[in-house]
Amino acid sequence: MIKTVTVIGAGGAMGCNISAIFASFGAAKVYMLDIEKPINAVERAIKSVRSESIRNNLIPVDFSSLKECVEESDLVFESVVEKMDVKKDVANKCTKYLKDRAFLCTGTSGLSITEIANSLPVDVRRRYYGVHFFNPPYSMVLCELIKSKYSISEDIAFLSNFLRNQLFRTVVVCEDKPAFIGNRIGFQFINSALQLAEKYSQCGGIDYIDSIFGTFTGRLMAPCNTADFVGLDVHKAIMDNLLLNVDDYEKRSFELPVYLKELVGNKKLGRKTGEGLFKLQINEDGTKTPLVYDILTKQYRLKNKYKFGFAEKMKAYFQNGDYDLAFEALKKDDSQEALICRDLLKRYIDYSIFVGKEVCNDIYSADDAMATGFGWCPPLALSNVLFGTNYSTKYDFRSFFKAVK
Amino acid sequence: MVHILGGAQTDFERNWKKEGKNLVALLKEVINDAFKETGFSFDELIRLNKDNRVEAFVGNFIAEDYIDQGHLGAFLTEVNEAFYGIPSARYEAACASSSVALDAAITKIKVGEIDVAIVVGFEIMKYVDSKVGGDILGRAAYYEKEGKGIDLPFPKLFGRLADAILDKYPELDEKRFMDALAKIAVINYENAKRNPNAQTRKWFMNYEQASNRGNDTNQLVGGRLAISDCSQVTDGACCVILCSERYIKEKDLNNNVIVKGYGHRNAPLLFDKKIKDNADSEYVLPWTRQAVLDAYRRSGLTVNDIDVFETHDCFTSSEYAAISAFGITAPGKEFEAIENGTISFTGTKPINPSGGLIGCGHPVGASGARMFLDCYKQVACKAGQYQVKNVKNAMMLNIGGSATTNYVFILGAKDER
Repeated sequence: MIKTVTVIGAGGAMGCNISAIFASFGAAKVYMLDIEKPINAVERAIKSVRSESIRNNLIPVDFSSLKECVEESDLVFESVVEKMDVKKDVANKCTKYLKDRAFLCTGTSGLSITEIANSLPVDVRRRYYGVHFFNPPYSMVLCELIKSKYSISEDIAFLSNFLRNQLFRTVVVCEDKPAFIGNRIGFQFINSALQLAEKYSQCGGIDYIDSIFGTFTGRLMAPCNTADFVGLDVHKAIMDNLLLNVDDYEKRSFELPVYLKELVGNKKLGRKTGEGLFKLQINEDGTKTPLVYDILTKQYRLKNKYKFGFAEKMKAYFQNGDYDLAFEALKKDDSQEALICRDLLKRYIDYSIFVGKEVCNDIYSADDAMATGFGWCPPLALSNVLFGTNYSTKYDFRSFFKAVK
Repeated sequence: MVHILGGAQTDFERNWKKEGKNLVALLKEVINDAFKETGFSFDELIRLNKDNRVEAFVGNFIAEDYIDQGHLGAFLTEVNEAFYGIPSARYEAACASSSVALDAAITKIKVGEIDVAIVVGFEIMKYVDSKVGGDILGRAAYYEKEGKGIDLPFPKLFGRLADAILDKYPELDEKRFMDALAKIAVINYENAKRNPNAQTRKWFMNYEQASNRGNDTNQLVGGRLAISDCSQVTDGACCVILCSERYIKEKDLNNNVIVKGYGHRNAPLLFDKKIKDNADSEYVLPWTRQAVLDAYRRSGLTVNDIDVFETHDCFTSSEYAAISAFGITAPGKEFEAIENGTISFTGTKPINPSGGLIGCGHPVGASGARMFLDCYKQVACKAGQYQVKNVKNAMMLNIGGSATTNYVFILGAKDER
C-alpha cells in the first residue's frame, strides 16, 4: 500500500500537479517538499484536480524536513531540475532515510534510470524507478514506468497496478532507453517539423510547416507551436540526449536546426520568455499581434495566412464527419505541402512502431503513449485510416482530427 | 413484441465545438456506429424503405437555440442518401425527448405499421457558454415564471426538490439526507470510471469533496445543492435500432432483448403546483411513481424482477426520489438503499452502472436513448467493464423538466421473467 508519498520539487509545475494526483486518486498523504516551503503550491494542486478535499492530504515542507518525510514515505517522488548530477544528489540524500520496502522514483523525461541507480547504495538500486507523468497530468493520463537493469517483475507489477488502478493512469512499461517512448516519438516528430521549417524557409518556414501540420492532422497543437509551448531549451535538452545516446535509422532527425540553436543561445526560449519561434507583439493601443520568427531574415513578422487545397478540403470534410473523404483528399493531392504532410505522417507511424518494439517490446504501447500523453492520433489508428492496415487499436481516430479553421 | 437490435453512443467526453464539427458529423458517427454494431446497413434501409417498412425518430430538446437548427427529422437526409424517402420526425419532451421518440417507434412497430425503427437522440450543448446554456435549459420549465432572468434555473428547481423531500419526511435527518446525496454523486462518478464513453471517466471525486458543499471547488448552485450534485453539460448522441418479431423471423436473427413495458405520466409543469399536487401521496413525485407502476403493470413484473436500473440523476435529488419511485425502498426511506450499498455497482439493485447523467454525462436530447441502450447492453451482456452480473430485466427512468414528463421503460430477456 502506498499511503504516504514525498514529492521533492513540489513547488514546480509538474511536482505540484503530481502531488495532486497522489493526494486525490491515490488518497495518499503527500509531503510537498521544496527548498522553500511551497505554500502556494498547495492551492495550485487543489485547483489542478478541482477538489478542495485533498487539502488535508497536502503538507508543504522545506528541505530541512527531508529526513522525517522520507522516513515515513512508501514512495518518494523526485521532480527536480532535469540534470543528472542534481538527480543523483537528491536520490542519494534520500536513500539513507528510505524505508526498507519503499520506492524511490524520478520524474525524469529522459535521463538514464540505470545510471542514477548505479550511483545509489546497492540495496536501494532495485527500488529505483522512473515514473514519467505528462503535463497536465489531470487530463494527460499517460504514465511511463521505466525500469532499470536492477528491477524485478514483482515490483514492476506492483507499481503498474498502483499507477493503473489507483491513480487511473494509462501505464506503459519502458526499458531504460533515452527519452523512453512518448518523448522519443513525439519530439522526433517535432524536431523533424522544425528541420522541415529550415528546409522550406523560402516558403515561409515555421508558420508554413505549422500550417501543413495543423490540428486537422490529428493533434492538439501544430508541432512548432508545441515546441514553443514546451520551451526550446527543454526541446534542445531532449534532442541532445537522443543525438548523443541513440543510434537508429532516424538519427539525423535528432539534429537541431541552426536557427533553433541561435534562438536558444539568445535566450529566446518560447512562450515562457515571451519570444521564441513565435512572439506576441503588444501594440500601442493594447491589442496583441501574433508574430512568427522568419528563419531567413531572423526577424519576427506577421504570420502568413496559408490556404493549402488539401488542408482546406480535409477541414471541410472533418467538419461534416466525412473522414474517408478527408483522408482521400490528403492521399490524392500532388502539391508540395501534401507530400510533406504525407511523408512525415508516414515516418511518424513507422518510427512509432520501431520505437514501440525497442522501448516497450510491443507496438501497442506507442498508441497508448501518443494518444494519452500527447493527444495525437495514435500511430496504429492513423496507419489504419491512411494506409488501410488492420492493426488492433483501442483508440477511435475520429476525436483526434479537428476541423477548427 | 418489440425487439432491440442494439445501437451506439458517442464518446461523451468529446467537445464538438473544440473539434470544429457540426450536427451532420455527430449524426453520421452515431448512425454509422449503430449500424456497424448491429449488422444493419444503408442497403437494408433502402430495401425496407421500398415497402415503407422503416421509419426514423429523432429525439432532441432544443437544437434551435443551441445550434440554430430545427426540422431535425428531415436532417437525417444529410447523413446518407439512404434516408431519402424515409418517414422521419423530431420528438420533444425536454430531457425526456428521446424517450418520446422511442415510445413512438415502439408503438408503430407494435401495431404492425413498420418493421424497423431507427431512433436517434442528440444534443450539442457546448457551442454556447454555460450562462447561455443554463438559460436555454430554463425552457424545460415554465420559462416565463421559472426560467426567465434567473441564473441557472434548473439547479435551483432541483435544490427545491431537495427541500421538498425534507419537508415531506420530517423525520428525515437533514445531514443524513445531504450525505446520502453526496454518496449518490460518488457512486455515479465511480461507476463512470468503468465506462469508456463516460464524460467524467478521468475526473476525481470522493465523498469528502461531494459532502463539503460551498467552497471554491464545489460551489453551491441551487439551494442546498452544489456542483458535485449536478449532471454534466455534454455534447453527444445515441442511436438505437428496434424491430418487429416479424423482422427477427424474416432475417433469422438471434436476438433476445425485448421491450417489456413502459410508463408515461406528466406531472404539473410548475414546480409549486407539482409539490402541492403531492399532498395526498406518500411520494414526493407521485406521477413519477405512477409511471413506474404503469410499467410494472404492463410488463407483469415487480421490483423484485428488476436486476439493474438506469435513472435520471440530473441532480442527486432526482436520483434520491427515484429510489422509492422504483419501489427499492418505501418512500422516505431512500437513504437506507444508499447507506447499505443496495444501489451501488455490486449491490442487489444497482442504479446507473453507466455513471448516469452525473458520471456518464447528459446531452439532454440523447439521455433517454442512452439509458435505453445501456439497459439493452446490460440484458444482452454487452456492457463490458460495467456489466452487472446476471441481468434478466432492466428498468430506466427518464424525466423532462422538473420531473414533469416521466418516462419509464422495462427491457428484458425474451424468455425469462
